[in-house]
Amino acid sequence: MSRRAAELTALALTLLLAWIVLYPILIVATDAADASALRAFVSRPGEWAALWASIWISLASVALAAAIGIPLAFLFEWFEFPGRKTLGSLVALPVVLPPLVGVIAFLFLYGESGFIARAVQALLGLERAPWRLQGPGAILLVHAYSMYVYFYLFTRAGLARLDVSMLEAAQALGAGRRATLRRVVLPLVRPALVGAAILTFMTALGSFSAPYIFGGGFRVMTTQIVATKLNGDLPLAMVETLALALVAIVGLVLLRRTEGDAILVALGKGTAPRPRPIRRRGIRLAAAAAGWGLAVVLLLPHLTLGLVSLVPYGAWTTEIIPPVLNFENYRRLFSEAERLRPLLNSVWMAAVSTAAAVILALLAGWLIVRRRVAVRRAIEGLLALPWALPGTVFAIALATTFSVNAPARLRLVLVGTAVILPLAYLVRALPLAGRGLLAAYRQMDPALEEAAASLGAGRWRTVTRVTLPQLKPGLAAGASLAFVAALGDIVASIVLYTYETRPIAIEILSSLRLSETGVAAAFGVVLMVVSALVLGVGARR
Amino acid sequence: MFRSLCVIGVLLAAGCRGDSRTPLVIYSPHGRDLLTLFERRFEAVRPDVDVRWLDMGSQEVYDRVRSERANPQADVWFGGPSLIFASAARDSLLDCGAAPTWMDAIAPRGRGAGRCYLAAYETPAVLLYPEEALSAAEAPQDWDDLLDPRWRGQVIIRDPLASGTMRAVWGLIISRGLAATGDTGAGFAWLRRLDGQTKEYVQNPALVSEKIARQEALVTVWDLPDVLISRRRGMRIGYVFPRSGTVAIEDGIGVVRGTKRLAAARAFVEFVGGTEMQLAAARDVFRLPARLDLPADSLPDWVRDVRRRMVVADVDWSLIAERGPDWMRWWDQHVRGTGR
Repeated sequence: MSRRAAELTALALTLLLAWIVLYPILIVATDAADASALRAFVSRPGEWAALWASIWISLASVALAAAIGIPLAFLFEWFEFPGRKTLGSLVALPVVLPPLVGVIAFLFLYGESGFIARAVQALLGLERAPWRLQGPGAILLVHAYSMYVYFYLFTRAGLARLDVSMLEAAQALGAGRRATLRRVVLPLVRPALVGAAILTFMTALGSFSAPYIFGGGFRVMTTQIVATKLNGDLPLAMVETLALALVAIVGLVLLRRTEGDAILVALGKGTAPRPRPIRRRGIRLAAAAAGWGLAVVLLLPHLTLGLVSLVPYGAWTTEIIPPVLNFENYRRLFSEAERLRPLLNSVWMAAVSTAAAVILALLAGWLIVRRRVAVRRAIEGLLALPWALPGTVFAIALATTFSVNAPARLRLVLVGTAVILPLAYLVRALPLAGRGLLAAYRQMDPALEEAAASLGAGRWRTVTRVTLPQLKPGLAAGASLAFVAALGDIVASIVLYTYETRPIAIEILSSLRLSETGVAAAFGVVLMVVSALVLGVGARR
Repeated sequence: MFRSLCVIGVLLAAGCRGDSRTPLVIYSPHGRDLLTLFERRFEAVRPDVDVRWLDMGSQEVYDRVRSERANPQADVWFGGPSLIFASAARDSLLDCGAAPTWMDAIAPRGRGAGRCYLAAYETPAVLLYPEEALSAAEAPQDWDDLLDPRWRGQVIIRDPLASGTMRAVWGLIISRGLAATGDTGAGFAWLRRLDGQTKEYVQNPALVSEKIARQEALVTVWDLPDVLISRRRGMRIGYVFPRSGTVAIEDGIGVVRGTKRLAAARAFVEFVGGTEMQLAAARDVFRLPARLDLPADSLPDWVRDVRRRMVVADVDWSLIAERGPDWMRWWDQHVRGTGR
């Protein structure tokens, strides 16, 4: 493709992304922001406190997630110990815990009348629960638990793309282990690390379920927006949204700075280093034991969810362990046809939106990294932006924009059709698919494609036989995360669903509203199993 | 890849398959029990209609109807305090054309101005306690009892911003103070003391009765139908009507303006207020009928019992509708979390 054609394609892609990502936000901003709302926002200390809380919670979430995820990735990618493969997949499991149900599972587990608290209380003979799961601490606990997976998966994908010959070269040139790590490995996985940091920051900034359930009087911007909106003050809610979007953009720019745009490539044939067996028996056993212990802790919320799904309505009050367990909830779930419908809806909408996001991301990756088009920063910014906006408000922006029939202003009536929800999922899948793919693209040696071309492979053959296989780890990681996020999405769904397209998360919310915690948990378990299967396929390479 | 595309195609085809009946979409906070009851019964008398309901909070219904104004998806809005219906009527979100025949059987305070909505049920707020920990006599008997030092740290409150029931209770407290002292300060001072007693503001309504049943707290305020349904399902929770008078929310129903199925929507509203369904809702899902002309001997025992025991406070709803949002904002910013 000529330079000119590439630039034109890039421009078209930018416009398309701007239309579905940026335009709705601008519509809402111009529709709703006004002087009095701005004044109200600036003059109220509560608003500033919520904004600051959002910022520091997000930064702390990144730090915690990195501190857990990166060492785990190195451990599982570089060292061989008993159970490495099984554990390696188990460690990714927090990502299959659907957002709202996951938070409820935490409540049943670590909340003041949850298993752990009750057990500690009984063990120590305390009169009251030993702790309360509330405030910033509880939010950070949930964030760290659910978000380290980004660092873990991205770092592993990055490490898998390392070339063993580079490490050997470094060692042959006299670099010690530390120097190799610092001078060779880290620069090579840096795109993956920055990608994970951006995702974590954005996810934490837009996170809603955890602050909603655990926040109490502690407000972050997402819960503040909902409170304002529920009070009917839409202009102020939009000002708050814009403030949050600004923080996100600043965060994105700052984080993006640390990445660098250099193409770092692993020359040679590109085999990743084999995992090293741990020689000393004691250390090997300790590593295995610690690994399995960790897996149990990480699995506790899932097990809790499984247990709660077996508790019939209202049967569990003050006991440590529920007194009655049966499959009543599952029977109800599968015997009523209308309860199965949402599952099918969610699956097809998530599949369609993920496929579209992957195609757009592939195109974007090629244009940004290979062709280095002029608008590459704009494309990258647009790809990452949706994650920074709280789902509810983004959904409202889409609903506002696409509820008016004005083709001249690029506004169509999509609300109430089956298109709008997959569109929202697509928008929210873009950062996940985009970051994973861009990181993979940056690590890929252009010489491979050039070699294929010089050996006579056509463009199609080069893409399918060389490019895609090289991108597969990053692609699979991003796509499976996007699919699972769409499958479990609740905040965008709740605004945009219609009867025809109601997804599984709405059904869960409905069950929770009806105090049918057991049925909600049963839905959660089904969602979890489907997500795990998808991620299992995604992680295979 | 090809196979998965085929699977998606089949799912899409399954998703698009419809039937020839007229779909009637209902937004409602009333929950599965009541809505399946009405779906079944209405489809029995109107085989040409396919009732499709979506369950959500009443404030969410308002939000959705407002954001779908240009292309309404709902036909009927079934349930929610008349306060919210009044706001929606002011925003021109409701169809105000025809009133159902049962309008005259509704007390004047349950009739929306300009025939935009009508009360179908009355939903009283009650004080709730765990039966395994307290007896009915030990439980608080009135609003002011909630401030007793005995309940310090033992009260949970459903987050009042999101809940129509709690907004009405807050409105009662503030307007009560306003009537006595001519100033809202008294009501806010009361709420600040309640905030000092409050252990937690619960976001999810499902967790309210759950937390009481599990004795995480000993007292809360919640609406009667939910309590009665939870009790029928085996939750050990008891309730008390506040002695000085409670708020009985006028639980409304209205037709969404701009619906494409106006006739079916109006027929449904007519059906909800009919004698037969008022009684069925009372018997099966514990809804207190708003109609005053139902024969007393056909009402279930619990309705007669509630009507005998319940004292309804005299509340100026139009004042609460007008000033409520400001009060709630003030409470959220200046009272929440300041009582301790």
